[in-house]
Amino acid sequence: MDQPTETREVHTAEGHHHPTPRQYVQIALLLGLLTAIEVGLFYAEPFFGDLVVPALLVLAAVKFGLVVGYYMHLKYEKRFLTRLFGGGFVLALMIYAVVLVAFGIMANI
Amino acid sequence: MADLAHTDEHETLGVDNRKLAMWGFLASEFMFFGALISTYLLYKGRAGMPPPYPRDLYDIPFTSISSFVLLMSSLTMVMAHNALTRKDQANVRTWLLATAMLGMVFIGGQVYEFSTFVQEGMTMRTNAAASGFYLLTGFHGTHVLVGIIMLLSLFGISRRQGGLSEAKGLNLELVGLYWHFVDIIWIVIFTVVYLIP
Repeated sequence: MDQPTETREVHTAEGHHHPTPRQYVQIALLLGLLTAIEVGLFYAEPFFGDLVVPALLVLAAVKFGLVVGYYMHLKYEKRFLTRLFGGGFVLALMIYAVVLVAFGIMANI
Repeated sequence: MADLAHTDEHETLGVDNRKLAMWGFLASEFMFFGALISTYLLYKGRAGMPPPYPRDLYDIPFTSISSFVLLMSSLTMVMAHNALTRKDQANVRTWLLATAMLGMVFIGGQVYEFSTFVQEGMTMRTNAAASGFYLLTGFHGTHVLVGIIMLLSLFGISRRQGGLSEAKGLNLELVGLYWHFVDIIWIVIFTVVYLIP
């Protein structure tokens, strides 16, 4: 028997299955919840102190991963697309980390 | 995203060349936004410049709602894509329009935020941190605007032709990738620029 349209999985030409609409909504709710936690942490900074920054970065990384993995379907794509996209991200992260450290040091000289 | 248009003549690495180009373009955009975010971070803490600084004027509850709106637009975008894979053309148009509308709400929020900041005395020329802030968020807003134009174009094509063909389906997939990318850049901006002290 056919599955209802709203819950039917989508298959790509390569045979990978994609999340169902229900799963997309669940991911969106999770993204909303993580955003709410981020905002809560912002206001709770006096209580949590130095823990707030790493916690915010971890939450942002999780949100980033959810969107890229499930909404952009990178989780289901060929591995070299992950390398291409991830390579661009890591390259930018490394270059600008060096820039920030170098300019930060120069500003304090 | 799903291979909506599986055309072998456009493939060299097992992925449609246009899709490969889009992923490459998006990967290169990290460098672009990385430069803008770094510039803002370098100048946001510099002393000796005339106030107000962006941090003094942020309205976190308002920006949080804008962020939520943009996150939800990623949901509607992926629903449009899902509808297309099921050849449900009416829902494709509905979700495309919903995504464009949510994008417009986000842009409206940004215009409101900018005008409030200017009224509070923070313009592009007030200090380097303000320049960095307007440049970063302004370029992101421009990306959202370009996305809205592409979404409305797809909506118009679908309406005129009674649906999106397989070839046009790939266009929806590419626009979707671009839209989600704009969303993930905002995830980074919201955390690094607005929330981190």
